[in-house]
Amino acid sequence: MPVKNRFAEMHADITEWRRDLHENPEILFETHRTSASVAEKLRSFGCDEVVEGIGRTGVVGVIKGQSTASGKVVGLRADMDALPIHEQTGLEYASKTPNAMHACGHDGHTAMLLGAARYLAETRNFDGTVVVIFQPAEEGGGGGREMCNDGMMDRWGIQEVYGMHNWPGMPTGSFGIRPGPFFAATDLLEIEVEGLGGHAAKPQETIDTTVVAAHIITALQTIVSRNADPIGNIVVSITSFETSSKAFNVIPQRVNMLGTVRTLSNELRDLAEKRVVEICEGMAATFGAVARVKYTRNYPVMVNHPEQTEFAADVARSVSGACDEAPLVMGGEDFAFMLEERPGAYILVGNGDSAMVHHPLYNFNDEAIPAGCSWWAGIAEQRMPMAG
Amino acid sequence: MPIKNRFAETHAEIAAWRQHLHQYPELQFDVHETAKFVEEKLRSFGITDITIGIGQTGVVAVIEGRSNTKGRTIGLRADMDALPITEATGLPYASKVPGKMHACGHDGHTAMLLGAAQYLAETRNFDGKCVLIFQPAEEGGGGGNEMVKDGLMERWGIEEVYGMHNMPFYPVGQFAIRPGALLAAADEFEIIIDGQGGHAAAPHEAKDTNLAACHVVVALQSIASRNVDPIKQVVVSVCTIQSDTDSHNILPQTVKLRGTVRTLDEDVRNLAEQRLQDIATHTAAAYECTAHVDYQRGYPVTVNHEINTDYAADAAEKVTPGVWRDTPPIMAGEDFSYMLNARPGAYIMIGNGEAGATVHHPKYDFNDAAIPAGCSWFAEMVETRMPAG
Repeated sequence: MPVKNRFAEMHADITEWRRDLHENPEILFETHRTSASVAEKLRSFGCDEVVEGIGRTGVVGVIKGQSTASGKVVGLRADMDALPIHEQTGLEYASKTPNAMHACGHDGHTAMLLGAARYLAETRNFDGTVVVIFQPAEEGGGGGREMCNDGMMDRWGIQEVYGMHNWPGMPTGSFGIRPGPFFAATDLLEIEVEGLGGHAAKPQETIDTTVVAAHIITALQTIVSRNADPIGNIVVSITSFETSSKAFNVIPQRVNMLGTVRTLSNELRDLAEKRVVEICEGMAATFGAVARVKYTRNYPVMVNHPEQTEFAADVARSVSGACDEAPLVMGGEDFAFMLEERPGAYILVGNGDSAMVHHPLYNFNDEAIPAGCSWWAGIAEQRMPMAG
Repeated sequence: MPIKNRFAETHAEIAAWRQHLHQYPELQFDVHETAKFVEEKLRSFGITDITIGIGQTGVVAVIEGRSNTKGRTIGLRADMDALPITEATGLPYASKVPGKMHACGHDGHTAMLLGAAQYLAETRNFDGKCVLIFQPAEEGGGGGNEMVKDGLMERWGIEEVYGMHNMPFYPVGQFAIRPGALLAAADEFEIIIDGQGGHAAAPHEAKDTNLAACHVVVALQSIASRNVDPIKQVVVSVCTIQSDTDSHNILPQTVKLRGTVRTLDEDVRNLAEQRLQDIATHTAAAYECTAHVDYQRGYPVTVNHEINTDYAADAAEKVTPGVWRDTPPIMAGEDFSYMLNARPGAYIMIGNGEAGATVHHPKYDFNDAAIPAGCSWFAEMVETRMPAG
């Protein structure tokens, strides 16, 4: 260490893979071309086992060390899916698919893990087994959950699991991590307010659902401002508001709202769900309307395990000389499901001064590749060191 | 260690001082009898360098170590004032002054620092100077600020300063601390909404200030829920709403809102002040009223200095192993913040026991069982930061 020399040699290859993925983004579980390309590369590297179709379109590869006497099995995970965003970068390798774009850098994550897999399959300089995990549908579909539900952890005997995400604004190739809650639980809100529609000139004969919905949105602000412990972290946002009528002179029968709740602890998550339901039903009843709330728990809080976090930071320090304390992130991360099943840690690698993720001008920074690959390799080699 | 043996011997004596102070609570800067009690005790320990009247009624005393080869000076601070609460404990040593009570444990803080002073004056087992700081008016008067403004730090050459507060519901003698922001900035605001009073039966001829006030209260919720980064902390609470009439049939000309804003960093504090101003002004305007906002900045954020937090936690670890080094911040305010803005140092919480009431409650009582641990920590701070040669 620091950056392994082999990755300097492979940098151009890995960059080429990354840009090929970037040109051909695929959404959610529809990562067929990406998965096939990943599986083919893993086979060409000489992986001991490559299995497709885990979690629908996920790919799992197995690389045994020079020895497996330790009995250790470490999982390394990357995500493969893109976003429904129309790319505006103007890059020569920009997305060829309208309204699909690798705007979160999963192209980079996949390429870096492929690079590490190639190196590990060449050198096998560890005592144990590496399981490389390529998941679909990180962006909202729960591909990580699907892979866990397919029995991945037990089938390959995975004992610990590690993941990485690029992070705009952090110096290229630098690392950041934190123990404990790291990324937020992301829950989905669907609220339907049903009243009594009617003529806008005769409000007295209606139960005006827009007024009720407006009161609900205002009252929902108090979950953060009055109910949650101010030390905790929580966001409640109503993001979509739709009346059942689009007319100027009709009071709508129904209003449908969508939103999200982000929390960094299960206590706050429970509190938020309870209060959302109570506020919607109570406010609606105040005006003689009815509110139907569907609160869907999506990704849980992503919690880094302390011991594995410390280890991951040590490896990062051996690659880049330092590892910063990362801030809490109110975004969600599907890797949370894997960390619920096995101890492990998730780390951020700096993407330099790029646009923010999910922005149409975002691009993964290929300069981060050697550091990212070296970290993956270091996780395997330092967690499962050769005897002597 | 853990507890210094000497404090096992003096425990009963220190508890008696504490219970005496508890019976005679004094408010704000009016802590004359308490300051006199402190001064007399300090003299009885053989301490001669005592100055009264710093920050109006604060007391400062110096204990010289056995040697002073490095010129080091450490400040230890306790607060002396009580609260305008009528005690409801029924204790034999309950307050003898109606409407006044040691409901925040400052009696315990003062007694513990006196106990430590007694031990330090006996042993002087350190190389340097220990400055004891007994401040008035922690509860809203800014006594700590007054002492700093009186030149406390420069006059006594204080290099580092440490303070302690009891913490209800934590195990007795359990220490808890965190680097960075530990206690909040506590600001106060008053909003006067002025409209057009009138007959309640003719609202169309009035500009209803009650309605505007209610909308202001609701809109203020959006500071926490929409404006401040959810990773950061803020509390905006409206605590008093008062119309200028208490009738059934008059719409008031003015409504007064009073409340508090609690924050843990200056950027959030500035944002909250700005948003409060804007929301009150524009929401009132939406209802054809005006809002006059008076925003008073109170105690600043109590920020523990990183390295001094480690010193404080290490000293505490020797007294009661298992220090909580990353205790969550508390949204209450603390006057010691002024001293920490003037000098590096740290503030630590000491457990007051799982049972009992919370501070500022009429049934609260300081737990005398915490005395040996608290005294030991004060003494340990001096002995470890200025070790004898």
